[in-house]
Amino acid sequence: MTTTHCPYCSLQCGMRLTGRRTPEVSAWEEFPVNRGALCRKGWSAAGLYGSRERLTSPLVRDRATGEWMAVTWDDALDRVAAGIRAAQAEKGPDGVAVFGGGGLTNEKAYSLGKFARVALGTSQIDYNGRWCMSSAASAGIRAFGLDRGLPFPLADVEEADVLVLVGSNLAETMPPAARHLDRLRARGGRVVVIDPRRTPTGDRADLVLQPVPGTDLALALGVLHLLVASGAVDEDYLAARTTGWADVRDSVAAWWPERVERVTGIEASEVRALAAMVGGPEARSARTPTTPSERPKVMVLTARGAEQHSTGSDTVLAWINVALALGMVGERGGGYGCLTGQGNGQGGREHGQKADQLPGYRRIDDPAARAHVAGVWGVEPDSLPGPGRSAYELLDACGTDDGPSAMLVLGSNIVVSAPNATQVTRRLEALDLLVVCDVVMSETAAIADVVLPVTQWAEETGTMTNLEGRVILRQKAITPPSGVRSDLDVIAGLAARLASPVEFATDPEEVFTELGRASEGGPADYSTITYDRIRDEGGVFWGGERLFGSTFAHPDGRARMYAVEHRGAAEVPDDDYPIHLTTGRVLAQYQSGAQTRRVRALPDDGPFVELHPSLAGRLGVVTGDQVRISTRRGSMTAPARVVTTIRPDTVFVPFHWVGTNRLTNDALDPASKMPEFKVCAASLVHVPLVEQAPLPAEHVPPLVEHVPPLVEQRGAPATSVSKPRLPA
Amino acid sequence: MTDHVVIVGGGMASVRLCEQLAGADVRLTVLADEPHAPYNRILLSAVLEGTYSADALTLRSPAWFGAQGIDLRLGARVLEIDREAREVVLVDGERVGYDRLVLATGSIPTLPPIRGLVRRDGALHPKVHAFRSLEDCTRLDASVSALVESPRAVVIGGGLLGLQVARALSVRGVLTEVVEGADHLLASQVGPAGGSVLARDLRRLGTDVYTGARAIRMTDDGVQLDNGALLPTDLVVLTAGGRPSTALARRAELMVGRGIVVDASLTSVTDERIHAIGDCAEHRRRTTGFVPPAWEQAEVLARVLRAEEATYDGLRSVARLRATGLDVAVLGDPRTAEGEVVEVTNPIAGSHRRLVVHGGRIVAAALVGDLSRVGLITQLYDRGTILGPDEPGQLLLPEADDAPAPLPDEAEVCACAGVSAGEVRACGSVAQCVDRTRATTGCGGCADVVRRLVGESGRAPVPVG
Repeated sequence: MTTTHCPYCSLQCGMRLTGRRTPEVSAWEEFPVNRGALCRKGWSAAGLYGSRERLTSPLVRDRATGEWMAVTWDDALDRVAAGIRAAQAEKGPDGVAVFGGGGLTNEKAYSLGKFARVALGTSQIDYNGRWCMSSAASAGIRAFGLDRGLPFPLADVEEADVLVLVGSNLAETMPPAARHLDRLRARGGRVVVIDPRRTPTGDRADLVLQPVPGTDLALALGVLHLLVASGAVDEDYLAARTTGWADVRDSVAAWWPERVERVTGIEASEVRALAAMVGGPEARSARTPTTPSERPKVMVLTARGAEQHSTGSDTVLAWINVALALGMVGERGGGYGCLTGQGNGQGGREHGQKADQLPGYRRIDDPAARAHVAGVWGVEPDSLPGPGRSAYELLDACGTDDGPSAMLVLGSNIVVSAPNATQVTRRLEALDLLVVCDVVMSETAAIADVVLPVTQWAEETGTMTNLEGRVILRQKAITPPSGVRSDLDVIAGLAARLASPVEFATDPEEVFTELGRASEGGPADYSTITYDRIRDEGGVFWGGERLFGSTFAHPDGRARMYAVEHRGAAEVPDDDYPIHLTTGRVLAQYQSGAQTRRVRALPDDGPFVELHPSLAGRLGVVTGDQVRISTRRGSMTAPARVVTTIRPDTVFVPFHWVGTNRLTNDALDPASKMPEFKVCAASLVHVPLVEQAPLPAEHVPPLVEHVPPLVEQRGAPATSVSKPRLPA
Repeated sequence: MTDHVVIVGGGMASVRLCEQLAGADVRLTVLADEPHAPYNRILLSAVLEGTYSADALTLRSPAWFGAQGIDLRLGARVLEIDREAREVVLVDGERVGYDRLVLATGSIPTLPPIRGLVRRDGALHPKVHAFRSLEDCTRLDASVSALVESPRAVVIGGGLLGLQVARALSVRGVLTEVVEGADHLLASQVGPAGGSVLARDLRRLGTDVYTGARAIRMTDDGVQLDNGALLPTDLVVLTAGGRPSTALARRAELMVGRGIVVDASLTSVTDERIHAIGDCAEHRRRTTGFVPPAWEQAEVLARVLRAEEATYDGLRSVARLRATGLDVAVLGDPRTAEGEVVEVTNPIAGSHRRLVVHGGRIVAAALVGDLSRVGLITQLYDRGTILGPDEPGQLLLPEADDAPAPLPDEAEVCACAGVSAGEVRACGSVAQCVDRTRATTGCGGCADVVRRLVGESGRAPVPVG
């Protein structure tokens, strides 16, 4: 029996696994974050094993015929190394790019960043975490000098008097976390949910506000406006612990509730209700301002709904301003936090797979950081490249004159998860060499030149850092199928072929120890964390359990407040595209679905279009009818689900399947480079049955069904005896 | 060579223009005649009421203007414009040159023709207050605070501002009466049905309303109405509207109708170096008295001054009453807009709502006494969304509650574990259910339902909604 953690979201629920080949999941009651609770994704996680689609041999695709061929690992790695050398000979070090993921262990994220900077010498590395919580990360660094998703344990949520969830549907996206809401309310605390849809999380709230997508920022300004007006702000705290308040205070004078109503679609009375809730019982009158003892403990948590916008980082700053103005940041049971999404969303952004960062959450343009990390790596500081392109910018440059012509992808299914996916897929196809490491033939692997089958989850050991900054250990529980290798092996194998000046360790614990040294002294310092401590202590928080109690991470110890303005969505409805489109998750699937769609115990109902009865009536659509949804970038057809829980001017489509992100907008946040996944303008038409013929070719998702049949290489080595199979 | 843009006026339109021009390649000077840093004028009644502190109204501090490199001059009154020399002349004789001049002089309160309002020395009767500036508000506030023992006030003018001030005074404990010359309240925004709902609401809140009545004389005893009534009072507040402040423009011989006449680029039709925005401007024969169009004009003019393409169409306006206990929203002009009218009036509940629909789009609306779905209606109006034939009517009906339905066996009870009601019912106890199905072991949200379905709550299994 092995204790480990769920393969999916940032909660990283503890669980026990028994059995060497086909593991069984059971509760690990002692692990503090979930105390034995799991959602159906967790309970069924063992279903990842035994899939007939599991890749067990490196595959190479013949571009002329499109045929896949199983090759030996040596052959595959030689080909990749040769392709990298060719690209770099033509374009220099930046001719090769690396694309990582927020699901990779800390050890892999670290090794990948080091591999890019040392073995490849390229600046062109970024990862899909850029599309996850980068807006909150950017805002946290600006406001507090440090980004740790939650600067306190998740269980602190229960101690709040008022919990404001901005754009989070945690009851579906991380269900065990919703238990905290129930305990909070049982204590008499209140929950506010801000989301264009009334979700299962909203069903557990005392106040649900459903703003127009892309207007969370204006709502924050309106709340702060009312807090200033009613004297509910904590002037002593602001004077002692922040800078920039005067400008922020003046900047919200123009956001009275009726103006907020016009922008957000939330009635002025509801804006007032929210402000009264967070400001305290006496906060309705300037003549009797709230006294410190009457102040409720207010906690604001943002998630992707607020963050995945071209104004996402400003939106987070606006909500941070609310938490700071109330004097809550650093107060136990109050403050601000970001609910990170991906399994290692937190750790994945700390160890150097981000375009502008080195391990320990250090800046790559900081000479002292470069010197320290280069010292640990045993290379010259000057040999390290500078900052590279952000995720979308990097993909958009692939195969262009200025961009890379080869790319290595780990832990990401770009074709499904990138915004404006048709354009991105076209760019990937323009590469001379695309290499994908994955466990199955994902939609991205299906267009690669070389696919390397790697180990996953319980087949390997490594640390993850959960949403609260707690470093936890996933332990190897079962034997991987023969023919697969770990990502660390792939990195080391390529580094050796590319004559890297330094070697790359393949033992996770050894890599973690090196990571600790590289991160030492940085904002995210892991140097005192060991595998043994993690096992003994139920996980270890980097930086301490609770942050910001007495000081912030800026040199002057103060939090910085920024006056931010509402700009709105990059694309607003017009006569041609009259509806807001927003995207999100469903409980039974995770991210691009590459894992969860292959777990039989999880229902896969495919994508759908959620719309309000008013809109459905206008279009003559009932639940189950096919509707075609189009934006300026693409279109898809899916069945309608008519629900009263969504705004009548907005439709929702889950993003786990190919198609949704062909619709989404690639407008980027200027600070975080986060694409605007959460809102764009769309049009909707009913597709009568007679028209439901096959779509034109460019609309057909590149599902695995369309991958040409596998051709086994003549004389394939014994390792491929377990015949690599693809679905018929 | 960087243009020097001089803005006359330090009100809300002016600040908006400064914000929009911050960082642009222009030199900016603001000549504001009030002594305070620019503030949010439309919230003055909330300060009077006591729900806002006055310093919460500051829009931008002098330090902000300084940081933007904008020369903000407070208490700077402009006497005249010398168009030939391209200079403005201040009261103290100083001349300020301009390349572009922006008139954002706002409006001045209308003095109704009431005998005794203005004394022989030209000053207002001491009981009489205007309500336009922070100074007016401070003075009225002081007067209210000084009153003892059942103070009374008369508000002359039953428009948006009059109703806000009347409610503010009422909340402060002043027995307030409203006098409106038209035959119903808010006559320039809503029809008689809406006006009468409002009058009833006001009376219910303790404020008497006299419509179709004009004040004709102000004496030390009170206000004499033309219907013969004498309203004894301690205070009189004039809220009978304003007129564009155009004296400067007139003297400079710019074309002035009701306001300073500008084209779609907000440029004076007389002098291409002079612009006007906000309450003082007249565009397509219309002047406005609201912030949203003034800001839209400021945004358009900022682009014009940056030499970008921009025109003002002034199509959509939304007016919202900000007064405790009174609910009013007016979209566009519901009295004159052309289209089909969908209307629900419920005098018993005290609501009147009217949508004017043209080509499927909401082109105007008046919502009085019931603001449910005002946020959505405003969005549909602003976006020009084309609605289906039933939608306008549905927007005015109560939202259908999702009726609680009995749980069929196939209904999913536990989303976390994917367990149906039937599977739960098949279990004998919660413990057995957890063991067999894992229901309740995820988010815990279904625990109550599961208890009821297996009959452990002491009650028989009941339908849940």
